Amino acid sequence: MPTTPIMTVADLHKTYGKAGSKQYEALKGIDFDVQPGEFVGIMGASGSGKTTLLNMLATLDQPTSGEVTIHQQPITHLKGNQLADFRAKEIGFIFQDFNLLETMTAYENIALPLMLQNVASKKIRPAVEQVATQLGINDFLTNYPNELSGGQKQRVAAARALINEPAILFGDEPTGALDSKSARELLDMFTKINQEQAVSILLVTHDPFSASYCQRILFIKDGKIGQELRRDQLSRRDFYQQILDTLGTFEQ
Amino acid sequence: MFKLALSSFKHRWRDYLVLFSGLVMSSAIFYMFEALATNKDFLKQNSMISMIGYVFQFGSVLLTIITLVYIGYANSFLLSMRKRDYGLFMLVGARKGKIGQLIWLETLLVGILATIIGILLGTGLTTGVSHLLVQTLDLTLKHFSAWYTTAALVTLVLYVGLFLIAGLFNLIALTKTPALKLLHSNDQPNRPQLHPVRQIIEVLVGVISIGIGYWAMSHLIDLQLAGIGIALVTIVLGTYLLFNAVFVWLVVLLKRFNWAQRGLNRFTLSQLSFRIRNYTKILSIVAMLFALALGAITTGMGFHQQVPLMAQGGSAYDLSLVNPTKAQQKTVNQLKPIRQATYRYKATTKVIYYNAADFNQQPFYTTHTIGKKQMSFKLVKNNAQQLKKSFYNYQLGDLQATVNINKKAVFLSAKAYHQLKQPEMQLVVFATKDFQKHFTTFKHLTKQQAKRSVNTRIGATGGRYYGYQVFNGMYSGLEFMGFFLGVAFLAMLASCLMFKILSGAAADRQRYRMLDKLGTTRSQLKKALRQEIAVLFILPGLVGIVHVLFGLQMFKIIMVTSPYQGIWLPFGIFAILYLGYYWLTLKIYQRLVL
Ligand SMILES: Nc1ncnc2c1ncn2[C@@H]1O[C@H](COP(=O)(O)OP(=O)(O)OP(=O)(O)O)[C@@H](O)[C@H]1O
Ligand SMILES: [Mg+2]
Repeated sequence: MPTTPIMTVADLHKTYGKAGSKQYEALKGIDFDVQPGEFVGIMGASGSGKTTLLNMLATLDQPTSGEVTIHQQPITHLKGNQLADFRAKEIGFIFQDFNLLETMTAYENIALPLMLQNVASKKIRPAVEQVATQLGINDFLTNYPNELSGGQKQRVAAARALINEPAILFGDEPTGALDSKSARELLDMFTKINQEQAVSILLVTHDPFSASYCQRILFIKDGKIGQELRRDQLSRRDFYQQILDTLGTFEQ
Repeated sequence: MFKLALSSFKHRWRDYLVLFSGLVMSSAIFYMFEALATNKDFLKQNSMISMIGYVFQFGSVLLTIITLVYIGYANSFLLSMRKRDYGLFMLVGARKGKIGQLIWLETLLVGILATIIGILLGTGLTTGVSHLLVQTLDLTLKHFSAWYTTAALVTLVLYVGLFLIAGLFNLIALTKTPALKLLHSNDQPNRPQLHPVRQIIEVLVGVISIGIGYWAMSHLIDLQLAGIGIALVTIVLGTYLLFNAVFVWLVVLLKRFNWAQRGLNRFTLSQLSFRIRNYTKILSIVAMLFALALGAITTGMGFHQQVPLMAQGGSAYDLSLVNPTKAQQKTVNQLKPIRQATYRYKATTKVIYYNAADFNQQPFYTTHTIGKKQMSFKLVKNNAQQLKKSFYNYQLGDLQATVNINKKAVFLSAKAYHQLKQPEMQLVVFATKDFQKHFTTFKHLTKQQAKRSVNTRIGATGGRYYGYQVFNGMYSGLEFMGFFLGVAFLAMLASCLMFKILSGAAADRQRYRMLDKLGTTRSQLKKALRQEIAVLFILPGLVGIVHVLFGLQMFKIIMVTSPYQGIWLPFGIFAILYLGYYWLTLKIYQRLVL
């Protein structure tokens, strides 16, 4: 399919530590594209550089060299207000924890990105209620984060990430702290919004079950993409088996 | 176990530093206050009115209350820091008794160490501040010393006592709570709710009790010590109730406005409501401290302004010279006096004979108070005949040489005067436009006269300059107390607010990080910080100002002038200090959080 990719990553390098001191090269040249509406997984052993890569893509950290383009816009050198605007409008993220502001109710957490954009207050409530319905958290909107279960918290975080209709959604082990039932619900929800709203999703995980929800999986080893796996027409169960097999050979 | 405790201590040294320096500051200031309050000699020496003793008792009790809340506050900070750690210890299987010992020890250790350092720091501060005040205000202090053992003991006993209680409280709080709850005890939100009836009652009771307090302060003469007690209880209570009701109501109400949906406004409101219990307490304390500091400085400045006024009310002339030399007369002329007169006289051991003609040619001015107000004067011209009858003729005697002060003045016709055998003397009196400008010259002239008087027995000088010295000596102690306490309370206020704000920094840091990740611009973040801290400064400031305006009523008893005279000056100075302090806190906080 010759569509323009929503995100391109070109020759991305990241070296930790200042020149002269002890240095560690976490990423050694990463190249890949994400098509609009694609659901991509990133897997790899602990310490292989998954979080490092995601932080770079989500503008939370600067690469040492290389370029990331989202929506035709190079993002690695954005600064100040441009960077803030970009984060607020084009991307959404969900992390393993520390997702929500515990001083605000679920409703306020979800509405925050809209308030930051100074969206007219009349439009805020319907928008929040719409995503909340979609994610099944309508009943918890007045709760504070410490009054929510882990799964509910992640769904609130997802709602907040989705409310400004981002071009791409990033997740760093969003199911990491959840039990299998909550994890499944969250992943089903990802699949749903991916299919219904054509939101591109990039999911970092080390869990094969979570990864089996993706359409394409990139395996990272020692700071490079070692292998790529496509689901194509496979059922999720078969894809899961394939992932397990790949991991078995890949990790050696 | 001890190693474990120590390791988490190392880990959170920054928080401990905030806690520790807060406690040191608090005990230092308490010591500063007590150094004045327990120094009986100093108080006796410097207060012509016994009321001042009551005022100090009032201050002592109030400061103890504030210290109580402060320590309670510091303690809950310590507790919240350690809850997680102790919860973990318990999960790993540590015995409760052992943990209890550890908590007890830690609280006491931190407390006692902070108190001792605080007392030392307090002594240093007392030295510095008193030195500075004596220098800049030209005060004379007697019976005052920076180290006062009673004060140190009082401070130590109070603080150690409070920490013993705090330790006990921690022990019970921690060992009675299940481990899991300890682990998740941080950051429980407060759900501010509107209970219209309850809040209306709170406002009513608050306003009424503050009203009673104001009334008590303005009727201190009738109520004496009881008035101070009443004012103390009612004003503290009223302030707290008022903040409690109004603040909750304000936050909840503001959230409903469209304005609250824009930018980070909602976030700021949530921050405030999340910590609303803490905030109402701290706001009440800050309002009280604000009132105390501003009140003390205003009073001190009131006394300071009073001295030249009283000097001016005592005489129409700046200085008098007996038989000035030619050089002295030249110096006087260089001051461009607006009034000057030379009166010839001959003195016996009982009587001073003046030449009435001198007074008819150069009338003598007396100052008269107008109406009931003691500090408004008018000048009145007197010839010899008028002066003889005037109630104010003692003002001439005051200007005479010391040997002549108590002698009777008699005005003679020129003929009778010339027949007297005694040697003729000259009394030169003069006034300049602004007598405070020429103090160095006056001092010089006075010294010369004093030297000459050894040989000629013609005595010293009188007038406004002399009056200024006398009144300044009388009021120095009061002035000093005012300014000293003003500085001490301001420092306490600063440390209270700083402590409150810094103790939340760690949690806020995470929140602001997250906002940054969500795409908040830096200017939005800064604005949110500015607003949140501004609320903490403005609200208590307003209440504090109102308290002071009413509280000044108390000083009607002590002050000759109205205590409200010229208060814009101390208020202005205080506003600048307060603004500067807001700015400093904001900068520190921005550095910590952003
Ligand atoms: N701030 C940093 N400074 C120095 N080295 C770092 C830093 N952050 C990560 N690293 C190193 O970079 C490598 C990749 O880390 P990264 O967090 O990306 O791993 P990961 O794949 O996310 O692992 P995990 O599955 O455990 O989360 C690791 O070896 C780590 O030690
Ligand atoms: Mg990681």
